[in-house]
Amino acid sequence: MENILDDYAHTNGLREVDTRVKLLLGAGCILIGVMSQTPYAPLFIGLSLGCATVLLARIPTGIYLRLLAIPASFAVTSCIVILLLTGGGELLREWSVFGLHLAVTTESTDLALLLLARTFGGMSALYFIALTTPAVELFAVMRQLHLPQEFIDLSMLIYRYIFILIGEAIAIRNAQVMRFGYTTFRNSLSAFSMLAAMLFLRSWEKGEDLLRAMDARCYDGKLNVMDQEGRIPRGALLSVAVYLCICIAFMVIPGG
Amino acid sequence: MHIMEGFLPGPWWQIWFLISAPFIIYGLYQLKILVNERREALPLLAVAGAFMFVLSSLKLPSVTGSCSHPTGTGLGAILFGPFITSVLALIVLIYQALFLAHGGLTTLGANVFSMGIAGPIVAWAIYRAGAKTGINTFVTVFLAAALADLFTYVMTSVQLALAFPAEAGGFTTSLVAFGTVFAFTQVPLAIIEGLVIALVFKYIIAVRPDLLVGLNVLTERTVERIRGPAA
Repeated sequence: MENILDDYAHTNGLREVDTRVKLLLGAGCILIGVMSQTPYAPLFIGLSLGCATVLLARIPTGIYLRLLAIPASFAVTSCIVILLLTGGGELLREWSVFGLHLAVTTESTDLALLLLARTFGGMSALYFIALTTPAVELFAVMRQLHLPQEFIDLSMLIYRYIFILIGEAIAIRNAQVMRFGYTTFRNSLSAFSMLAAMLFLRSWEKGEDLLRAMDARCYDGKLNVMDQEGRIPRGALLSVAVYLCICIAFMVIPGG
Repeated sequence: MHIMEGFLPGPWWQIWFLISAPFIIYGLYQLKILVNERREALPLLAVAGAFMFVLSSLKLPSVTGSCSHPTGTGLGAILFGPFITSVLALIVLIYQALFLAHGGLTTLGANVFSMGIAGPIVAWAIYRAGAKTGINTFVTVFLAAALADLFTYVMTSVQLALAFPAEAGGFTTSLVAFGTVFAFTQVPLAIIEGLVIALVFKYIIAVRPDLLVGLNVLTERTVERIRGPAA
């Protein structure tokens, strides 16, 4: 079972900062990173937001580094393909394998490095949002954006049930492991299927219970929740704006 | 298979958002009608969405030992149809990006298309076709889930190949290259997911066949035929 980043979001050092400011910072960085044509801006974003997440939000460094390793395998394999296939610029090295023409050129190296940098920057920005903003706060922002009511209700209920089902899944899995459920490949296949099926049936029964509970409280197809409204604090907004301007300035630096 | 944050460049991530949008909007429209007609639909859809999330956060037993996750969207499509599944998949993908660091926000459009729209449509079409022709239900479910997975992975390769065409040979060469690189993990994964979902189906029929009949997934007659020899 993997770490649920939301656990950290509830206790992080930036918990009290206005949600909209944090979202603006994260989303702004993601957009700047993906639009940047040179690796500098995404690298700057990755490093600075990484520091912010570890130092300001006080997320343990080891956990943060392990998180950054998750997308690494996909990023590295894809970048190797891009490095070998795309072209342009001077030829550095070339091979011919199974009739495929593979070449490393200056432009393909630049592109692969740019993509690695963008992924690094983008993932740091995503982790910044994920590790500093609990999902509960996101629902309030979703309502302010006037997303469809059904969509928000569905998101809230899914969020609630994720944690219940994860608990069930861990319990079932532990029981199976104790009874040698995952010793051979064949065993693990049947054990996993049993786990998935029982999880589905139990979650369905939970859903029926939930409906009964909601009916008992006069459920009419709408979930109404109280929101705290407030103005976006000026100071935080200003510092985010300044930071984003610095990131944009990094975009303008010409590629080497 | 998720494309991570920052990986899709320039016009492509916006294009995939635009392509996914009509499916999601239609799914939301269907959801609204369903919730208005049948109040009980919302909590049941919610637990199904949570189930998809939890299933995808569990590691599958894998041959290669690599990290592989079932998608669970095939099952969703068989139960609720492709459009509502795409709304569920959208929510699940947002949570996966935020809680598990799978995928990203700018690549959400592309990921929703490959995992939440293309895969479920294939699964649903195969399941419906199989149910009409009366092929063994478990074979149909296996094919639906496995081919949906394969199609998802082909779609992801197409998305990457479109964004990064090869210099020699362009789109096709790039597609073959991405396809080959990911095939090592994705093809066994698709077969395993097909087997798992077929077994899940078997257990559901054994314990609560009324759920499947209620959702119009199976007819009473089919359930009796499947359960017949056991009873």
